Amino acid sequence: MSGRGSSSRITDEEINELVTKLQSLLPESRRRNIGRASASKLLKETCSYIKSLHRDVDDLSDRLSALMATMDANSPQADIIRSLLRS
Amino acid sequence: MQVPNSFKLALLKQMLLGFQLSAVSSNSMSFHERKNAIKLSADAAMVFARGSTRWTRGLVASLSKNRNNEDLLRGILGKKYERLSLPCCNSWKIPRSRKILKRCLGLCSRRKKATGTQHDVKSSSTLARRLVKKRIQVLKKLLPGGDSMEGFSLLDQTLDYAVSLKAQVDVMRRLLKISKASNLNK
Repeated sequence: MSGRGSSSRITDEEINELVTKLQSLLPESRRRNIGRASASKLLKETCSYIKSLHRDVDDLSDRLSALMATMDANSPQADIIRSLLRS
Repeated sequence: MQVPNSFKLALLKQMLLGFQLSAVSSNSMSFHERKNAIKLSADAAMVFARGSTRWTRGLVASLSKNRNNEDLLRGILGKKYERLSLPCCNSWKIPRSRKILKRCLGLCSRRKKATGTQHDVKSSSTLARRLVKKRIQVLKKLLPGGDSMEGFSLLDQTLDYAVSLKAQVDVMRRLLKISKASNLNK
């Protein structure tokens, strides 16, 4: 993501940019909790954001699993998916 | 922060490939087998779409620990599997990275200190530092391969990982929506 391979110094701008990006990464609702971005709050919100994404993946896997059980290879769903792949 | 559409498309394609390879729509699978196949496909697809970076290598390493996953991982990742399984040695960067992390997080608290009151500065900053350390430990456990990362790399990779995860969630959500919608027309 960042091409810092051989350069020896990470500038303050890069650090500022990273902190800003981390803040902007969080959805609006979480950003409000941080206010003036204390380091520990930023980390806390980032951690809980990642955990909530993990839960989303788990929940979506449950639902997809239930759905896939009822699908068969020659159904219209399969056609739609195939057309998705072609686009 | 968003990933390009090409990322999501690649993720979707490989995930569906994974579903095919593990035959998720067959009747012979238990709910849990199917769910695990779906999760594994989604993760491997995300790795494929992202390419080589520290967290993707960390994720491949942890997914490979389960021998049963190897076939599906190879099927989805193809040639990338070998490349992503190589160990990465960045240990010399670690001492410097810790200083950079302190600088980085120092910038956050400096903004706050400038406007705050000056009561027991020493103990409040020690407490803050301890809290930050604790949170970093939590973050390291959440990030694949996080244990071997420090400082700037840790935060940089966290950002990268979170953005990719969000894309994974978006793709799965859209797939679910489309599949459900077409299911109603049966």
